Amino acid sequence: MERTEALLIADLCEGDETALAPLVEKYKRMVYRLAMQITKNHEDADDVMQETFIKVYQSIHTFRKDAAFETWLYRITVNEALNFVKRRERRRECAIETAKESEFDPVARHRAQMASDPHVQAEQAELRHWVTEAVNSLSLKHRTVVILHEFEGLTHAEIASILSCAEGTVRSRLHYARKELRTLLKPYVDASSEPL
Amino acid sequence: MKLKCHKIQRLLSDYIDETLSEQQAADVALHLRACPPCRREAAALKKTCNLIENFYVGPEAPDAYYTRFTTELQRRIEHMPPTAIHQLLRAVSTRVGWQLSTRLYRFVDRYLSIGHLFIRQRALPYYIVLLTMTTLFVVPFLLKQVPHSSLNTHPPVSVHPAATLVIEQDTDAGQPVGRHHNMNRALSPSEGSSGESRIVSSLGTDFWQFTDEPITEGYIFTRHRQNSSGEVPSVALANREGTHKGTHLPGLFSIDSALIAYAEIPTQSVLLEELLGRDVLSEGTYAMLLVQSIRGGRHALQQYKRKRSGFKGFARKLLDVPLEILSITEVHDSIEL
Repeated sequence: MERTEALLIADLCEGDETALAPLVEKYKRMVYRLAMQITKNHEDADDVMQETFIKVYQSIHTFRKDAAFETWLYRITVNEALNFVKRRERRRECAIETAKESEFDPVARHRAQMASDPHVQAEQAELRHWVTEAVNSLSLKHRTVVILHEFEGLTHAEIASILSCAEGTVRSRLHYARKELRTLLKPYVDASSEPL
Repeated sequence: MKLKCHKIQRLLSDYIDETLSEQQAADVALHLRACPPCRREAAALKKTCNLIENFYVGPEAPDAYYTRFTTELQRRIEHMPPTAIHQLLRAVSTRVGWQLSTRLYRFVDRYLSIGHLFIRQRALPYYIVLLTMTTLFVVPFLLKQVPHSSLNTHPPVSVHPAATLVIEQDTDAGQPVGRHHNMNRALSPSEGSSGESRIVSSLGTDFWQFTDEPITEGYIFTRHRQNSSGEVPSVALANREGTHKGTHLPGLFSIDSALIAYAEIPTQSVLLEELLGRDVLSEGTYAMLLVQSIRGGRHALQQYKRKRSGFKGFARKLLDVPLEILSITEVHDSIEL
Protein backbone atom coordinates (compact mmCIF):
# COMPACT_ATOMS: atom_id res chain seq x y z
CA MET A 1 0.00 0.00 0.00
CA GLU A 2 1.32 3.43 -0.91
CA ARG A 3 2.19 5.53 2.08
CA THR A 4 0.95 9.09 2.35
CA GLU A 5 3.40 11.96 2.60
CA ALA A 6 2.63 12.51 6.30
CA LEU A 7 3.25 8.83 6.99
CA LEU A 8 6.50 8.90 5.03
CA ILE A 9 7.69 11.87 7.09
CA ALA A 10 6.70 10.19 10.34
CA ASP A 11 8.52 7.01 9.28
CA LEU A 12 11.59 9.01 8.31
CA CYS A 13 11.48 10.65 11.73
CA GLU A 14 11.53 7.24 13.31
CA GLY A 15 14.63 6.30 11.31
CA ASP A 16 13.08 4.40 8.45
CA GLU A 17 15.50 5.17 5.60
CA THR A 18 13.24 3.61 2.98
CA ALA A 19 10.80 6.47 3.51
CA LEU A 20 13.25 8.87 1.87
CA ALA A 21 13.15 7.32 -1.59
CA PRO A 22 9.46 8.07 -2.32
CA LEU A 23 9.96 11.65 -1.12
CA VAL A 24 12.97 12.02 -3.41
CA GLU A 25 11.02 10.57 -6.28
CA LYS A 26 8.18 13.01 -5.74
CA TYR A 27 10.23 16.18 -5.34
CA LYS A 28 13.43 15.58 -7.29
CA ARG A 29 12.31 17.49 -10.40
CA MET A 30 11.12 20.45 -8.39
CA VAL A 31 14.37 20.58 -6.42
CA TYR A 32 16.50 20.23 -9.52
CA ARG A 33 14.57 22.90 -11.40
CA LEU A 34 14.88 25.36 -8.53
CA ALA A 35 18.54 24.61 -7.92
CA MET A 36 19.34 24.91 -11.61
CA GLN A 37 17.46 28.20 -11.93
CA ILE A 38 19.38 29.72 -9.05
CA THR A 39 22.82 28.29 -9.71
CA LYS A 40 22.54 28.26 -13.54
CA ASN A 41 24.93 25.36 -13.69
CA HIS A 42 24.15 21.66 -13.80
CA GLU A 43 27.07 20.50 -11.69
CA ASP A 44 26.21 22.99 -8.97
CA ALA A 45 22.54 22.10 -9.18
CA ASP A 46 23.45 18.45 -8.76
CA ASP A 47 25.46 19.24 -5.64
CA VAL A 48 22.66 21.41 -4.26
CA MET A 49 20.20 18.61 -4.87
CA GLN A 50 22.37 16.09 -3.05
CA GLU A 51 22.90 18.40 -0.10
CA THR A 52 19.21 19.25 0.05
CA PHE A 53 18.06 15.67 0.36
CA ILE A 54 20.88 14.81 2.77
CA LYS A 55 19.72 17.71 4.90
CA VAL A 56 16.14 16.51 4.72
CA TYR A 57 17.30 13.10 5.90
CA GLN A 58 19.36 14.52 8.75
CA SER A 59 17.01 17.27 9.89
CA ILE A 60 13.61 15.73 9.40
CA HIS A 61 13.11 15.71 13.18
CA THR A 62 13.22 19.53 13.14
CA PHE A 63 10.38 19.69 10.64
CA ARG A 64 7.21 20.98 12.26
CA LYS A 65 4.49 18.49 11.49
CA ASP A 66 1.85 21.16 11.08
CA ALA A 67 3.84 22.96 8.35
CA ALA A 68 3.84 22.15 4.64
CA PHE A 69 6.66 19.81 3.71
CA GLU A 70 6.91 21.37 0.28
CA THR A 71 7.52 24.86 1.70
CA TRP A 72 10.13 23.43 4.06
CA LEU A 73 11.83 21.73 1.13
CA TYR A 74 11.71 24.97 -0.86
CA ARG A 75 13.43 26.75 2.00
CA ILE A 76 16.20 24.18 2.25
CA THR A 77 16.75 24.13 -1.50
CA VAL A 78 16.80 27.90 -1.88
CA ASN A 79 19.13 28.35 1.07
CA GLU A 80 21.48 25.63 -0.16
CA ALA A 81 21.50 27.08 -3.67
CA LEU A 82 22.06 30.64 -2.47
CA ASN A 83 24.90 29.50 -0.22
CA PHE A 84 26.37 27.58 -3.10
CA VAL A 85 26.26 30.58 -5.42
CA LYS A 86 27.77 32.82 -2.74
CA ARG A 87 30.58 30.35 -2.14
CA ARG A 88 31.16 30.05 -5.85
CA GLU A 89 31.26 33.79 -6.31
CA ARG A 90 33.74 34.04 -3.49
CA ARG A 91 35.92 31.58 -5.33
CA ARG A 92 35.47 33.70 -8.45
CA GLU A 93 34.33 30.72 -10.39
CA CYS A 94 31.21 32.27 -11.72
CA ALA A 95 29.98 29.99 -14.44
CA ILE A 96 27.81 32.51 -16.22
CA GLU A 97 30.33 33.36 -18.88
CA THR A 98 31.75 29.90 -19.15
CA ALA A 99 28.47 28.10 -19.38
CA LYS A 100 28.79 25.69 -22.19
CA GLU A 101 26.12 24.07 -24.19
CA SER A 102 25.20 20.68 -22.88
CA GLU A 103 22.27 18.37 -22.60
CA PHE A 104 21.26 20.26 -19.44
CA ASP A 105 21.30 23.75 -20.93
CA PRO A 106 17.68 24.70 -21.69
CA VAL A 107 18.63 27.19 -24.37
CA ALA A 108 20.88 24.65 -26.02
CA ARG A 109 18.11 22.10 -25.88
CA HIS A 110 15.79 24.50 -27.64
CA ARG A 111 18.34 25.29 -30.25
CA ALA A 112 18.78 21.61 -30.80
CA GLN A 113 15.01 21.18 -30.89
CA MET A 114 14.72 24.02 -33.38
CA ALA A 115 17.34 22.47 -35.56
CA SER A 116 15.80 19.04 -35.43
CA ASP A 117 12.23 20.23 -35.83
CA PRO A 118 11.80 22.31 -38.98
CA HIS A 119 8.24 23.20 -38.04
CA VAL A 120 9.16 25.12 -34.94
CA GLN A 121 8.90 28.74 -35.74
CA ALA A 122 12.17 30.53 -35.60
CA GLU A 123 10.62 33.62 -34.13
CA GLN A 124 9.17 31.81 -31.13
CA ALA A 125 12.36 29.96 -30.51
CA GLU A 126 14.24 33.22 -30.49
CA LEU A 127 11.75 34.69 -28.04
CA ARG A 128 12.17 31.74 -25.71
CA HIS A 129 15.87 32.15 -25.92
CA TRP A 130 15.81 35.85 -25.04
CA VAL A 131 13.25 35.51 -22.25
CA THR A 132 15.29 32.76 -20.65
CA GLU A 133 18.47 34.77 -21.04
CA ALA A 134 16.78 37.83 -19.55
CA VAL A 135 15.65 35.93 -16.45
CA ASN A 136 19.08 34.36 -16.05
CA SER A 137 20.76 37.74 -16.29
CA LEU A 138 18.87 39.11 -13.26
CA SER A 139 20.73 39.55 -10.01
CA LEU A 140 20.60 36.60 -7.62
CA LYS A 141 18.05 38.22 -5.30
CA HIS A 142 15.75 39.32 -8.09
CA ARG A 143 16.06 36.04 -9.95
CA THR A 144 15.20 34.01 -6.86
CA VAL A 145 12.04 36.01 -6.23
CA VAL A 146 10.96 35.86 -9.86
CA ILE A 147 11.51 32.10 -10.02
CA LEU A 148 9.61 31.43 -6.83
CA HIS A 149 6.73 33.71 -7.77
CA GLU A 150 6.38 33.32 -11.52
CA PHE A 151 7.39 29.71 -12.03
CA GLU A 152 6.77 28.02 -8.71
CA GLY A 153 3.61 30.01 -8.06
CA LEU A 154 4.37 30.87 -4.44
CA THR A 155 2.69 33.81 -2.74
CA HIS A 156 4.55 36.83 -1.40
CA ALA A 157 4.11 35.58 2.16
CA GLU A 158 5.50 32.14 1.34
CA ILE A 159 8.50 33.63 -0.42
CA ALA A 160 9.12 35.95 2.52
CA SER A 161 9.03 32.94 4.82
CA ILE A 162 11.46 30.98 2.64
CA LEU A 163 13.91 33.85 2.25
CA SER A 164 13.48 35.00 5.86
CA CYS A 165 12.70 38.56 4.86
CA ALA A 166 9.74 40.93 5.01
CA GLU A 167 6.84 40.58 2.64
CA GLY A 168 7.39 44.16 1.53
CA THR A 169 10.94 43.26 0.53
CA VAL A 170 9.61 40.48 -1.68
CA ARG A 171 7.13 42.84 -3.34
CA SER A 172 9.82 45.42 -3.89
CA ARG A 173 12.27 42.90 -5.39
CA LEU A 174 9.58 41.53 -7.66
CA HIS A 175 8.65 45.00 -8.84
CA TYR A 176 12.21 45.97 -9.69
CA ALA A 177 12.90 42.60 -11.29
CA ARG A 178 9.92 43.04 -13.57
CA LYS A 179 11.01 46.52 -14.50
CA GLU A 180 14.44 45.22 -15.36
CA LEU A 181 12.97 42.41 -17.40
CA ARG A 182 10.80 44.88 -19.20
CA THR A 183 13.90 46.86 -20.15
CA LEU A 184 15.74 43.75 -21.28
CA LEU A 185 12.82 42.55 -23.36
CA LYS A 186 11.81 45.97 -24.62
CA PRO A 187 11.75 45.11 -28.34
CA TYR A 188 9.38 42.21 -27.73
CA VAL A 189 7.24 44.09 -25.25
CA ASP A 190 6.83 47.14 -27.45
CA ALA A 191 6.07 44.99 -30.46
CA SER A 192 2.76 43.86 -29.08
CA SER A 193 1.60 46.07 -26.24
CA GLU A 194 -1.87 45.15 -25.28
CA PRO A 195 -4.27 47.14 -23.08
CA LEU A 196 -4.94 45.93 -19.58
CA MET B 1 -7.93 59.34 -3.18
CA LYS B 2 -5.84 60.79 -5.94
CA LEU B 3 -2.37 59.31 -6.27
CA LYS B 4 0.53 60.69 -8.24
CA CYS B 5 2.12 58.79 -11.12
CA HIS B 6 5.28 57.69 -9.30
CA LYS B 7 3.21 56.25 -6.45
CA ILE B 8 0.95 54.48 -8.91
CA GLN B 9 3.88 52.96 -10.75
CA ARG B 10 5.20 51.47 -7.52
CA LEU B 11 1.86 49.73 -7.09
CA LEU B 12 1.61 48.40 -10.64
CA SER B 13 3.36 45.13 -9.91
CA ASP B 14 0.96 44.33 -7.08
CA TYR B 15 -1.92 45.56 -9.23
CA ILE B 16 -1.02 43.02 -11.89
CA ASP B 17 -0.74 40.30 -9.25
CA GLU B 18 -4.09 41.43 -7.82
CA THR B 19 -2.67 41.61 -4.33
CA LEU B 20 -3.73 45.20 -3.62
CA SER B 21 -6.59 46.03 -1.31
CA GLU B 22 -9.90 46.87 -2.93
CA GLN B 23 -9.47 50.55 -2.24
CA GLN B 24 -5.95 50.65 -3.64
CA ALA B 25 -6.94 48.65 -6.71
CA ALA B 26 -9.82 51.04 -7.36
CA ASP B 27 -7.50 54.04 -7.02
CA VAL B 28 -4.99 52.54 -9.42
CA ALA B 29 -7.70 51.63 -11.96
CA LEU B 30 -9.11 55.16 -11.75
CA HIS B 31 -5.70 56.65 -12.30
CA LEU B 32 -4.91 54.37 -15.22
CA ARG B 33 -8.07 55.42 -17.01
CA ALA B 34 -7.03 59.05 -16.80
CA CYS B 35 -3.26 58.74 -17.31
CA PRO B 36 -1.99 57.36 -20.67
CA PRO B 37 1.73 57.08 -19.63
CA CYS B 38 0.88 55.03 -16.57
CA ARG B 39 -1.50 52.93 -18.62
CA ARG B 40 1.28 52.21 -21.11
CA GLU B 41 3.63 51.33 -18.26
CA ALA B 42 1.08 48.97 -16.75
CA ALA B 43 0.45 47.33 -20.12
CA ALA B 44 4.17 46.88 -20.68
CA LEU B 45 4.62 45.24 -17.29
CA LYS B 46 1.68 42.98 -17.88
CA LYS B 47 3.10 42.02 -21.25
CA THR B 48 6.46 41.31 -19.66
CA CYS B 49 4.82 38.99 -17.14
CA ASN B 50 2.99 37.19 -19.92
CA LEU B 51 6.21 36.77 -21.90
CA ILE B 52 8.00 35.25 -18.93
CA GLU B 53 5.08 33.02 -18.11
CA ASN B 54 4.70 31.72 -21.66
CA PHE B 55 8.19 31.71 -23.05
CA TYR B 56 10.55 31.04 -20.19
CA VAL B 57 12.12 27.63 -20.58
CA GLY B 58 12.68 25.99 -17.24
CA PRO B 59 15.63 23.70 -16.85
CA GLU B 60 14.96 20.03 -17.11
CA ALA B 61 17.24 17.05 -16.89
CA PRO B 62 16.88 13.73 -18.71
CA ASP B 63 15.43 10.79 -16.81
CA ALA B 64 18.78 9.01 -16.87
CA TYR B 65 20.20 11.76 -14.72
CA TYR B 66 17.55 11.30 -12.03
CA THR B 67 18.23 7.57 -11.95
CA ARG B 68 21.94 8.23 -11.45
CA PHE B 69 21.15 10.84 -8.85
CA THR B 70 18.92 8.53 -6.79
CA THR B 71 21.56 5.81 -6.82
CA GLU B 72 24.28 8.24 -5.79
CA LEU B 73 22.14 9.69 -2.98
CA GLN B 74 21.39 6.23 -1.64
CA ARG B 75 25.09 5.39 -1.70
CA ARG B 76 25.97 8.59 0.17
CA ILE B 77 23.38 7.96 2.87
CA GLU B 78 24.58 4.40 3.37
CA HIS B 79 28.19 5.53 3.67
CA MET B 80 27.53 8.54 5.82
CA PRO B 81 29.96 8.81 8.74
CA PRO B 82 28.63 8.05 12.19
CA THR B 83 26.53 10.85 13.50
CA ALA B 84 28.00 13.02 16.23
CA ILE B 85 27.04 11.79 19.67
CA HIS B 86 24.82 14.75 20.48
CA GLN B 87 22.99 14.41 17.17
CA LEU B 88 22.58 10.72 17.82
CA LEU B 89 21.20 11.36 21.29
CA ARG B 90 18.85 13.98 19.95
CA ALA B 91 17.61 11.66 17.24
CA VAL B 92 17.10 8.83 19.70
CA SER B 93 15.26 11.06 22.16
CA THR B 94 13.06 12.36 19.36
CA ARG B 95 12.24 8.86 18.23
CA VAL B 96 11.50 7.67 21.73
CA GLY B 97 9.40 10.78 22.42
CA TRP B 98 7.49 10.30 19.22
CA GLN B 99 6.83 6.65 19.91
CA LEU B 100 5.73 7.34 23.46
CA SER B 101 3.45 10.18 22.48
CA THR B 102 1.90 8.12 19.70
CA ARG B 103 1.26 5.20 22.02
CA LEU B 104 -0.09 7.47 24.72
CA TYR B 105 -2.43 9.06 22.24
CA ARG B 106 -3.65 5.69 21.05
CA PHE B 107 -4.19 4.63 24.64
CA VAL B 108 -6.12 7.79 25.45
CA ASP B 109 -8.09 7.58 22.25
CA ARG B 110 -8.99 3.98 22.94
CA TYR B 111 -10.23 4.41 26.47
CA LEU B 112 -11.61 7.91 26.31
CA SER B 113 -14.23 8.36 23.66
CA ILE B 114 -14.07 12.11 24.14
CA GLY B 115 -10.31 12.11 23.84
CA HIS B 116 -10.36 13.44 20.33
CA LEU B 117 -12.22 16.49 21.51
CA PHE B 118 -9.43 17.58 23.79
CA ILE B 119 -6.28 15.93 22.54
CA ARG B 120 -5.25 16.06 18.94
CA GLN B 121 -2.53 13.74 17.82
CA ARG B 122 -0.36 16.53 16.50
CA ALA B 123 -0.69 18.58 19.65
CA LEU B 124 -0.07 15.75 22.09
CA PRO B 125 3.73 16.06 22.18
CA TYR B 126 3.30 19.74 22.97
CA TYR B 127 0.97 18.89 25.84
CA ILE B 128 3.58 16.53 27.24
CA VAL B 129 6.34 19.11 26.91
CA LEU B 130 4.11 21.70 28.55
CA LEU B 131 3.32 19.38 31.42
CA THR B 132 7.01 18.58 31.93
CA MET B 133 7.98 22.25 31.84
CA THR B 134 5.27 23.04 34.35
CA THR B 135 6.48 20.35 36.68
CA LEU B 136 10.13 21.36 36.37
CA PHE B 137 9.81 25.12 36.62
CA VAL B 138 6.53 26.15 38.15
CA VAL B 139 6.56 23.83 41.14
CA PRO B 140 10.01 24.91 42.40
CA PHE B 141 8.96 28.50 41.78
CA LEU B 142 5.86 28.03 43.90
CA LEU B 143 7.89 26.38 46.62
CA LYS B 144 10.13 29.45 46.71
CA GLN B 145 7.11 31.59 47.38
CA VAL B 146 6.52 29.88 50.71
CA PRO B 147 7.42 32.44 53.36
CA HIS B 148 10.86 31.90 54.73
CA SER B 149 9.70 32.30 58.28
CA SER B 150 7.31 29.38 57.95
CA LEU B 151 10.20 27.10 57.00
CA ASN B 152 12.62 28.41 59.55
CA THR B 153 12.48 26.39 62.72
CA HIS B 154 15.11 28.43 64.53
CA PRO B 155 14.07 30.85 67.21
CA PRO B 156 13.81 34.44 66.00
CA VAL B 157 16.75 36.72 66.54
CA SER B 158 16.18 39.36 69.12
CA VAL B 159 17.44 42.75 68.03
CA HIS B 160 16.99 45.64 70.35
CA PRO B 161 16.32 48.84 68.44
CA ALA B 162 18.47 50.88 70.78
CA ALA B 163 21.37 48.49 70.80
CA THR B 164 24.82 49.73 70.02
CA LEU B 165 26.87 47.28 68.09
CA VAL B 166 30.53 46.97 68.77
CA ILE B 167 32.76 44.88 66.60
CA GLU B 168 35.80 43.40 68.15
CA GLN B 169 38.55 42.13 65.95
CA ASP B 170 40.99 39.38 66.68
CA THR B 171 44.67 39.90 66.06
CA ASP B 172 44.89 37.85 62.92
CA ALA B 173 46.05 41.00 61.17
CA GLY B 174 45.68 41.41 57.46
CA GLN B 175 43.13 38.67 57.06
CA PRO B 176 39.57 39.70 56.49
CA VAL B 177 37.48 38.66 59.39
CA GLY B 178 34.81 36.16 58.68
CA ARG B 179 36.44 34.43 55.73
CA HIS B 180 35.79 31.05 57.20
CA HIS B 181 33.46 32.05 59.91
CA ASN B 182 29.79 32.32 60.02
CA MET B 183 28.08 34.23 62.66
CA ASN B 184 25.61 32.60 64.91
CA ARG B 185 23.71 33.99 67.71
CA ALA B 186 25.15 32.70 70.94
CA LEU B 187 23.26 32.19 74.08
CA SER B 188 25.13 34.48 76.38
CA PRO B 189 28.09 36.82 76.46
CA SER B 190 30.02 34.48 78.68
CA GLU B 191 30.27 31.91 75.94
CA GLY B 192 32.36 34.17 73.72
CA SER B 193 36.11 33.98 73.84
CA SER B 194 38.23 37.09 73.70
CA GLY B 195 40.36 35.87 70.80
CA GLU B 196 37.49 35.58 68.37
CA SER B 197 35.85 38.23 66.30
CA ARG B 198 32.53 39.15 67.71
CA ILE B 199 29.91 41.75 67.73
CA VAL B 200 28.48 42.60 71.05
CA SER B 201 25.57 44.75 71.84
CA SER B 202 26.25 47.34 74.46
CA LEU B 203 23.24 46.25 76.39
CA GLY B 204 24.61 42.78 76.67
CA THR B 205 21.31 41.21 75.84
CA ASP B 206 22.40 39.92 72.46
CA PHE B 207 25.70 38.33 71.78
CA TRP B 208 26.98 37.58 68.28
CA GLN B 209 29.94 35.41 67.67
CA PHE B 210 31.84 34.07 64.67
CA THR B 211 31.91 30.34 64.66
CA ASP B 212 32.67 27.57 62.21
CA GLU B 213 29.19 26.21 62.43
CA PRO B 214 26.84 26.34 59.50
CA ILE B 215 24.75 29.41 59.02
CA THR B 216 21.43 29.16 60.69
CA GLU B 217 20.05 32.57 61.42
CA GLY B 218 22.25 35.10 59.74
CA TYR B 219 25.76 36.30 59.25
CA ILE B 220 27.78 39.44 59.23
CA PHE B 221 31.18 39.88 57.65
CA THR B 222 33.54 42.69 58.25
CA ARG B 223 36.71 43.84 56.64
CA HIS B 224 38.90 46.30 58.35
CA ARG B 225 41.26 48.82 56.92
CA GLN B 226 44.74 48.68 58.21
CA ASN B 227 45.98 51.95 59.54
CA SER B 228 49.45 53.34 58.96
CA SER B 229 50.92 51.45 61.87
CA GLY B 230 49.75 48.16 60.48
CA GLU B 231 47.21 47.56 63.16
CA VAL B 232 43.70 46.62 62.46
CA PRO B 233 41.25 49.02 64.04
CA SER B 234 38.96 47.30 66.38
CA VAL B 235 35.97 49.53 66.20
CA ALA B 236 33.51 49.65 63.41
CA LEU B 237 30.20 50.83 64.60
CA ALA B 238 29.74 52.57 67.85
CA ASN B 239 27.54 54.93 69.70
CA ARG B 240 29.89 57.84 70.09
CA GLU B 241 28.47 61.07 68.97
CA GLY B 242 25.14 62.53 68.15
CA THR B 243 22.22 60.83 66.56
CA HIS B 244 22.11 59.39 63.11
CA LYS B 245 19.99 61.48 60.81
CA GLY B 246 16.68 59.97 59.94
CA THR B 247 16.85 57.05 62.34
CA HIS B 248 16.30 56.38 65.98
CA LEU B 249 19.83 55.17 66.23
CA PRO B 250 22.78 56.83 67.74
CA GLY B 251 25.08 58.43 65.19
CA LEU B 252 27.55 56.56 63.08
CA PHE B 253 30.28 59.14 63.39
CA SER B 254 33.89 58.44 64.18
CA ILE B 255 33.96 55.22 62.30
CA ASP B 256 37.54 54.77 61.28
CA SER B 257 37.29 51.56 59.40
CA ALA B 258 35.04 50.13 56.81
CA LEU B 259 32.35 47.87 57.99
CA ILE B 260 30.58 45.72 55.55
CA ALA B 261 27.85 43.77 57.10
CA TYR B 262 25.76 41.32 55.19
CA ALA B 263 23.06 39.85 57.26
CA GLU B 264 20.02 37.76 56.85
CA ILE B 265 17.14 39.81 58.05
CA PRO B 266 15.66 38.15 61.09
CA THR B 267 12.00 37.76 61.65
CA GLN B 268 11.79 41.22 63.12
CA SER B 269 12.99 42.74 59.87
CA VAL B 270 11.28 46.00 60.71
CA LEU B 271 13.35 46.27 63.83
CA LEU B 272 16.54 45.57 61.93
CA GLU B 273 15.78 48.13 59.32
CA GLU B 274 15.00 50.56 62.04
CA LEU B 275 18.27 49.67 63.62
CA LEU B 276 20.27 50.10 60.50
CA GLY B 277 18.30 52.99 59.09
CA ARG B 278 19.05 53.99 55.57
CA ASP B 279 22.29 52.11 55.60
CA VAL B 280 20.63 48.86 54.80
CA LEU B 281 20.19 47.56 51.31
CA SER B 282 17.79 44.73 51.34
CA GLU B 283 17.25 42.03 48.81
CA GLY B 284 14.64 39.49 49.71
CA THR B 285 15.57 38.03 53.04
CA TYR B 286 19.07 39.50 52.97
CA ALA B 287 20.46 42.90 53.72
CA MET B 288 23.83 44.49 53.40
CA LEU B 289 25.11 47.25 55.54
CA LEU B 290 27.89 49.30 54.05
CA VAL B 291 29.37 51.92 56.22
CA GLN B 292 32.26 54.07 55.21
CA SER B 293 33.71 57.02 56.91
CA ILE B 294 35.72 59.16 54.58
CA ARG B 295 37.84 61.98 55.68
CA GLY B 296 40.18 64.00 53.58
CA GLY B 297 38.28 64.60 50.37
CA ARG B 298 39.45 63.26 47.03
CA HIS B 299 42.39 61.30 48.32
CA ALA B 300 40.21 59.43 50.75
CA LEU B 301 37.66 58.77 48.05
CA GLN B 302 40.29 57.21 45.82
CA GLN B 303 41.46 55.17 48.74
CA TYR B 304 37.92 54.06 49.32
CA LYS B 305 37.49 53.05 45.69
CA ARG B 306 40.63 50.94 45.83
CA LYS B 307 39.39 49.31 48.97
CA ARG B 308 35.98 48.71 47.56
CA SER B 309 37.33 46.99 44.46
CA GLY B 310 39.15 44.65 46.79
CA PHE B 311 36.04 44.10 48.80
CA LYS B 312 34.05 43.08 45.77
CA GLY B 313 36.14 40.02 45.09
CA PHE B 314 36.32 39.26 48.74
CA ALA B 315 32.60 39.34 49.14
CA ARG B 316 32.04 37.19 46.10
CA LYS B 317 34.29 34.55 47.54
CA LEU B 318 32.59 34.67 50.86
CA LEU B 319 29.00 34.98 50.00
CA ASP B 320 26.60 34.23 47.31
CA VAL B 321 25.71 37.88 47.29
CA PRO B 322 23.21 38.98 44.68
CA LEU B 323 25.12 41.05 42.18
CA GLU B 324 22.47 43.74 42.28
CA ILE B 325 23.57 44.52 45.79
CA LEU B 326 27.22 44.74 44.88
CA SER B 327 26.65 46.90 41.87
CA ILE B 328 26.57 50.13 43.81
CA THR B 329 28.84 52.39 41.82
CA GLU B 330 29.45 55.29 44.15
CA VAL B 331 29.17 55.39 47.88
CA HIS B 332 30.63 58.40 49.57
CA ASP B 333 29.45 58.04 53.08
CA SER B 334 26.90 56.26 55.13
CA ILE B 335 24.27 58.98 54.88
CA GLU B 336 24.30 58.99 51.09
CA LEU B 337 23.52 55.33 51.05
